[in-house]
Amino acid sequence: MAAKKLNLKDKYKLLTRDLDWEFSYEDRKKAFPYEDFEGIKINDWSKWEDPFRLTMDAYWKYQAEKEKKLYAIFDASSQHNGHLNVSDPRYINAIKLFLTGISPLEYQAYQGFAHVGRQFGGVGARVACQMQSIDELRHVQTQVHAMSQYNKYFDGFHDWTHMHDRVWYLSVPKSFFDDARTSGPFEFLVAISFSFEYVLTNLVFVPFMSGAAHNGDMATVTFGFSAQSDEARHMTLGLEVIKFLLEQDEGNVAIVQKWIDKWFWRGCRLLSIVGMMMDYMLPNKVMSWKEAWEVYFEEAGGALFKDLARYGIRMPQYADIVEKEKEHVSHQAWWTFYTYGHAAGFHTWIPTDAELDWLSEKYPDTFDKYYRPRWELAKKLESEGKRIYNNALPQLCNTCQIPMLFTEMSEPGQIAYRVSEYKGDKYHFCSDGCQHIFEEEPEKYVQSWLPAHQIYMGNCGGPDVPDILRDYYHFNLGADNLDMKGSPDEQRWNEWKKQG
Amino acid sequence: MSYQVTIEPTGDVIEVEEGQTILDAALRQGVWLPFACGHGTCATCKCQVLEGDVDIGDASPFALMDMERDEGKILACCAKPESDLVIEADIDVDDDFAGHPVQDFNAEVIAITNLSPTIKGIRFRLDREMAFQAGQYVNINVPGVEGSRAFSIANPPSQAGELELHVRLVPGGAATGWLHQELAVGDSLAVSGPYGQFFTRKSDSKDVIFIAGGSGLSSPQAMLLELLEEGDTRQMYLFQGARNVSELYNRELFEQLAAEHDNFHYIPALNAPEAGDNWQGFTGFVHDAVKAHFNGKFEGHKAYLCGPPPMIDAAITTLMQGRLFERDIHMERFFTKADGASDQPRSALFRKI
Repeated sequence: MAAKKLNLKDKYKLLTRDLDWEFSYEDRKKAFPYEDFEGIKINDWSKWEDPFRLTMDAYWKYQAEKEKKLYAIFDASSQHNGHLNVSDPRYINAIKLFLTGISPLEYQAYQGFAHVGRQFGGVGARVACQMQSIDELRHVQTQVHAMSQYNKYFDGFHDWTHMHDRVWYLSVPKSFFDDARTSGPFEFLVAISFSFEYVLTNLVFVPFMSGAAHNGDMATVTFGFSAQSDEARHMTLGLEVIKFLLEQDEGNVAIVQKWIDKWFWRGCRLLSIVGMMMDYMLPNKVMSWKEAWEVYFEEAGGALFKDLARYGIRMPQYADIVEKEKEHVSHQAWWTFYTYGHAAGFHTWIPTDAELDWLSEKYPDTFDKYYRPRWELAKKLESEGKRIYNNALPQLCNTCQIPMLFTEMSEPGQIAYRVSEYKGDKYHFCSDGCQHIFEEEPEKYVQSWLPAHQIYMGNCGGPDVPDILRDYYHFNLGADNLDMKGSPDEQRWNEWKKQG
Repeated sequence: MSYQVTIEPTGDVIEVEEGQTILDAALRQGVWLPFACGHGTCATCKCQVLEGDVDIGDASPFALMDMERDEGKILACCAKPESDLVIEADIDVDDDFAGHPVQDFNAEVIAITNLSPTIKGIRFRLDREMAFQAGQYVNINVPGVEGSRAFSIANPPSQAGELELHVRLVPGGAATGWLHQELAVGDSLAVSGPYGQFFTRKSDSKDVIFIAGGSGLSSPQAMLLELLEEGDTRQMYLFQGARNVSELYNRELFEQLAAEHDNFHYIPALNAPEAGDNWQGFTGFVHDAVKAHFNGKFEGHKAYLCGPPPMIDAAITTLMQGRLFERDIHMERFFTKADGASDQPRSALFRKI
């Protein structure tokens, strides 16, 4: 009789997952020193169910094939001047923000998963994290390659890693991931694998991939599809983590709930940048941020939290506030970037009249009432040669590090300020959510590296803002920053188009 | 027009409508397949086609690469059958699953009993023995009704030459209406089976909780009768939910079994007893009876649930809140015409629930 073919489960176990060994002379507890201190109790690692079963040989085979396909399209795009096919040069600024703000997070994810991929006692969890780590490294590389095409033709792409570590608004995504990576291994997985990859990831991918497709950026679309084919493993890992923790010990439920509350709020704050990209930075719109939130969080997330209720998990704290924020955050964020456009590493602009109408239509309850009048004023001032630039450094929230730009949801004309005192010092927050996170772990967040504060403390060179932007951030002043109108990007684009 | 899709290695069979995706049909028919994105970009639902023709649909070239297309791989979330199909999915066969082959039988009615005002017990003699596991079901073709209808087997597998089915009259249901009003002793029907992944996990020695609602008593009855016949010594609890005493059928059978076996416990629950019922037992929904009996703590048990979807959902919630999880909860949902198709978005958190 022919030998029975191994099923995928056994194959995964024998050929990939269980390259583990017994600790005969070392103390297992000492080998996995991070497993206990968060208060999570794991009673039986054997109950871990593999979220995916991909053997290492198949992994390399598939990934190699994906790369081949992807780089063929990158090459074709660069050979055929793909940069000229984008809908409008304003679109490129969304890509600049993505490269400086989000791509470095893929690298942080690579580092984070490599770390926790060493720290779990259970081999299934370790291997899943190690594979994700390799995926993330691939994602950062392919993103950089996808966007490198634009570096040849547009400003603002030249020093993204340097900027990521220093620039005021880039500290928002950077500190988000720093926070996750400096947590314990289980919190890291709840933060990144569950709250971000599973609950919120579609809200990043939809605008990124569909936005690229609607705006003629084939390299980015293709990269997006290639990454999305890995993303499923990351999402199923997030689901397995949450189930495993909740089932392992009753005491884990309250800890996991606290982490979900924290990382849902932190994720929502981070996504305000994505909301702004969708509503303002994509010349050809996909859907409004509000619509995306309704489809991808309220419907899909609603079904998820209905199921999680069976474990004793409730909707994330402040989900009611976030529901109201979908009407406001993108407008408040873009207005802030517009008024700080001299200090940004990409261009900003006033929406066209057609875009203002689109926003009025998509946000019937808020846009005309609160936001359109600002743009009408900005238009008027611009026509008088008095384009608004706000020269004071913004106060930053001590938790999310976003400038204090968000309003009370009950009173959209009033900026929300929260203050806490800790060991004699005052700390400022943009919201109840961020204040609550600080108060749970003040020792962690008093260490926040807040770019505006650092400037005032003299740690970023100077003495004046332009010196800091040029010497400390490495911005090419007059090229990377300021309004889209009159920028070198715009001038070059018009030249290319004239040549046909 | 619809196609039959057989999913290996479990052998589950689903009906897929023209233009419907395999994943959509599977999830709607209670067959779990791994999935995540649902629109062809993630490849979580990748399957191998073993037999038949299929339109691979809108699968992303990165999620389903050319070499995989050549090998006959598909993504269940986009693929639409163009003929009957056999596919192999990345799902586990339970070690307790015997995998008895599905066959066609001719079944002759030998007895019809009124079990309750709405439920008839129908006993058939098969043209030959059927190997099945207690808990599984058969499909019946009812004359004049398109498609087949599923009914769980109420007799233990030791009575392999017969079938006992409990048929509740579904308001407006053509098939159950015919079975209640037209079927007579001596008639013959075409039956196929056995089907389903609802069966006793005998390799697991934990104590067992059965929760049954309405005619969903059938499967637990078969499972219990078999375990007791085999002299199984674990503790077994049967919670039977009904509206009132007249709907609480086979009560004498279980009271007698409880008297004969120290390890079998029978707890009926009525949610709307009549004044004349003189009901002394638990009043309320069956999941609340379970909760009260175990003081809301279920660790260390296996649970088998069988009955209408709202009962199953309430019971799952009760069990999970008492820390019994998916791997120890097994269920058979009795969908009827009245339940309709559920269009609520579902999360990928649970596989079977």
